[in-house]
Amino acid sequence: MASSDLMVGLEIGTSKICVVVGENRPDGTIKILGVGQAPSRGVRKGEIVDFETAMKCVHEAVVDAEQKSDVMIRSVYVGVSGSHIQSFNNRGCVLLPEDRDEIDEQDIEDVKISAREVSIPAQNAFLHSIIQHYHVDGQDGVLNPVGMLGQKLEADFHIIHGVRTRIQNTIRCVKELPLEVEDVVFNALASAQVVLTQHQKSLGALVIDIGGGTTDYILYVDGAVKECGSLAVGGDHITNDISMGLRIPMTRAEKLKIEEGGVTLGNCLPGETVLLKDDSGFAGKEIERESLNTIIHLRLRETFELLKRKLEEQSFINYIGEGIFITGGCSLLNGIHHLAGDIFEMPARVAHAQTMSGLTSAFENPQFSTAIGLIKYAQAVQADRRPRRGIGRIFGRFFTGMR
Amino acid sequence: MIQLSHNYSLPEREEDIIPIKVVGVGGAGTNALDRIVLDGIDKADVIAINTDVQSLASSVATAKVQLGRGVTRGLGAGGDPELGYQAAVESADEIRQALVDARMIFICTGLGGGTGSGATPLVAQLAREAGSLVIAFATLPFSFEGKRRAAQAQEGLARLNQIADAVICFENDCMGDIVAPKAGIHQAFAVADITISQSVRSIVNLIQRPGLIRIGFDDLLRALRSENGRCLFGFGESDSDNRAHDALGQALKNPLMNKGKMLADAAHVLVQVAGGPGMTLSEVEILMQELGRHINDQTQILFGTAVDSRMGNRLSVTIISSLGNESGAETKQAIMHTPAAPPAPMPPIWEQQQPIETPATVGASDGMVDLPPPAEDLVQFPQPELVQDVQPTVEPPAAKAAPEPPCVIIPRLKPAPKGPGEPKQPKPEKFAHAKQEVLQFEPITRGRFEKSEPTIVEGQDLDVPTFLRKNFRVK
Ligand SMILES: Nc1nc2c(ncn2[C@@H]2O[C@H](COP(=O)(O)OP(=O)(O)OP(=O)(O)O)[C@@H](O)[C@H]2O)c(=O)[nH]1
Ligand SMILES: Nc1ncnc2c1ncn2[C@@H]1O[C@H](COP(=O)(O)OP(=O)(O)OP(=O)(O)O)[C@@H](O)[C@H]1O
Ligand SMILES: [Mg+2]
Ligand SMILES: [Mg+2]
Repeated sequence: MASSDLMVGLEIGTSKICVVVGENRPDGTIKILGVGQAPSRGVRKGEIVDFETAMKCVHEAVVDAEQKSDVMIRSVYVGVSGSHIQSFNNRGCVLLPEDRDEIDEQDIEDVKISAREVSIPAQNAFLHSIIQHYHVDGQDGVLNPVGMLGQKLEADFHIIHGVRTRIQNTIRCVKELPLEVEDVVFNALASAQVVLTQHQKSLGALVIDIGGGTTDYILYVDGAVKECGSLAVGGDHITNDISMGLRIPMTRAEKLKIEEGGVTLGNCLPGETVLLKDDSGFAGKEIERESLNTIIHLRLRETFELLKRKLEEQSFINYIGEGIFITGGCSLLNGIHHLAGDIFEMPARVAHAQTMSGLTSAFENPQFSTAIGLIKYAQAVQADRRPRRGIGRIFGRFFTGMR
Repeated sequence: MIQLSHNYSLPEREEDIIPIKVVGVGGAGTNALDRIVLDGIDKADVIAINTDVQSLASSVATAKVQLGRGVTRGLGAGGDPELGYQAAVESADEIRQALVDARMIFICTGLGGGTGSGATPLVAQLAREAGSLVIAFATLPFSFEGKRRAAQAQEGLARLNQIADAVICFENDCMGDIVAPKAGIHQAFAVADITISQSVRSIVNLIQRPGLIRIGFDDLLRALRSENGRCLFGFGESDSDNRAHDALGQALKNPLMNKGKMLADAAHVLVQVAGGPGMTLSEVEILMQELGRHINDQTQILFGTAVDSRMGNRLSVTIISSLGNESGAETKQAIMHTPAAPPAPMPPIWEQQQPIETPATVGASDGMVDLPPPAEDLVQFPQPELVQDVQPTVEPPAAKAAPEPPCVIIPRLKPAPKGPGEPKQPKPEKFAHAKQEVLQFEPITRGRFEKSEPTIVEGQDLDVPTFLRKNFRVK
């Protein structure tokens, strides 16, 4: 098997580290060869805070993936997240020279460069420039302008950037293992690749990936990314709220959340309690189920409301036809889609990676959306990259195939 | 979370924990206290004291005292310090009970409101009568809160300065400067709360690790105490290639540091440098030299290092100091430290003859530093003769009482708490030897969110549980 057909996705999550090894089949499908995992330590709010510890965990997950897939991992597509990640839409424009009127590949490159001629903060670096639409002499809806006749080529891009040093932290962690970094991908962009179909992207959809440390979101309209970002609030906050509110240790709060937690209010019998068993054999503590659910509800309501207000600063949210897709570990909380539906006033559902060959049902779990999505992203990128090898650096590659 | 593993000292002294209580008075004080609890504090009891039952109910403090059941009926003092004072008088017995058996009491409060300005001086008074050393952390209102609040705050501060052993003031206006202008008042409060929390927890840890600290309360007080209550506090941490420089830069950027400019006026500066086993002597020297540019030759440095393998590549710097009065810091110092011989000026660390206990080899194997064994009486209360009798109660704030300008207030020293016992005098030689104590500070610990930057959105600190901010009462 040619090594270029191997693709490895690595998510250094706040709760778990996940390594997915996939193979690009000649028929265009992906086969998952193995998934490695390790609990994550030294990561907070989607970013590495304790380098040594995080590196050990990543190493553990990589070794696990190597054993499960029986391949040597040399390079990875690594996901990044964190509140520093920002994005905006911008249009690039090139005028063809007088003596030529057929648009070629170089014009496509030039228009991309032109779209990035905007200033981002000095400490920031470009992560992605994702094509939305081309326009040739003012004509909209052009999918591939190469070979078309025209004088003026314009292109709209969604440009994602983040703080350079914070992105480099992740890269450094991978490189010291040592592994090569094929590309750095914003987590929400990766998740969307497996959570949404092309059709759903065209109709318009919002993906919300609520993990342990961050809530990453990405919004598609007309098949193109229009908005995305990351809010540094996640399942850790819910667990911390429970621990403070019910005065129980974090580990027990986490367990209680996963086993008994729910989002819907008014669903419990009056006075209904959950018995929090004591491992040491002493009598457990009685916990009011409604209190537990209220703590969770208030946190998630606030998170959705913040996100909604953020998205309402622009108008794209009004053009979503398919509704909301919630993924990430926290999407497993009972009733979360009802709450999201109520707040955003549109249909909402919980989503995870759809069946892929080789993927056992254990990984059809919203916690793995990002890591599996990275493979999907890698596939799109490799298909795009093949004809023109060697261009592009880690930061700010352009891909026409990736939307 | 810096901790040294010293096989010889810690275990036996573990039960020697000094009883410390941290008290929040009024709404702002309770909020600051909640921040402290959220950030994680053990080895100290926390008590919320307020007139407002709503605020008390949502507080995460383990002990709570409601003031003025009769006078204010569970509502706040409505911005009236007289009412706040009355409420505290009514509940004096409960306050006393809550404060009993502490050697040190920290009081956090927001001056300007009714409860904070009116009740805090009485709480401080009762704390001292109970025999504790009292350090108050107070915020002064934003100027846009109006002249009346500002005047009430100044009056409260004046009283507090007369009673407490040290008062550390946080000016909300200064907090406002360091958060984005559009961020709003909540974020400024959140920043104030975080800063108060950092300071309180650092000091608690400094005291609670006696086996490692060769410093008395008097030393600590000297660093904290100033005529105008202006405390300088900075914490920085870095793992960059130039981490000593970066960590110091960060510490000096702290809102309570004013870019290090004000350090020049400080008479005493407490500095602790902590790092993993890889910390080198030259790094410490670079750092102290850079710090030297911000302080003048007369400044006494109390310096310490700590090595902890868990710090990994990180190096942290903590600086605590207070601002003297530009006009006469030296003269007032004598009054402030009656029993102690005037401290010998401390040469900058890089000029000292004694080797610093942080050679490149420290902790080569297990992160231990060779330290002199702890002395017997490491922690000493300053127990001077009575400078002046402290009145058993504070006069209620009278509307016509002229507010005393804070700069002329000299903190009065505490009466000996244990009656006619042998007063322990700080040993004069303490000041003569080079201060190379290992000071233990707790860097920012915010529980699960430790080491991550706070999530502040729309002016709210989202790391604080939503139910707390929405005032939901958990049954
Ligand atoms: N650091 C901080 N300061 C606050 C906060 N809330 C209010 N303040 C400041 O503290 C001052 C006093 O406000 P409160 O503490 O609410 O008043 P109070 O002491 O409870 O008094 P009453 O409400 O009149 O009983 C205000 O003028 C503000 O400057 C807070 O959450 N954090
Ligand atoms: N069955 C469940 N019910 C509720 N919550 C769950 C469940 N399973 C996992 N979680 C929560 O999901 C979170 C982890 O999700 P996920 O694995 O997507 O995060 P991550 O990718 O490690 O973190 P991030 O992407 O934020 O850095 C944890 O907070 C965990 O408590
Ligand atoms: Mg994730
Ligand atoms: Mg109040």
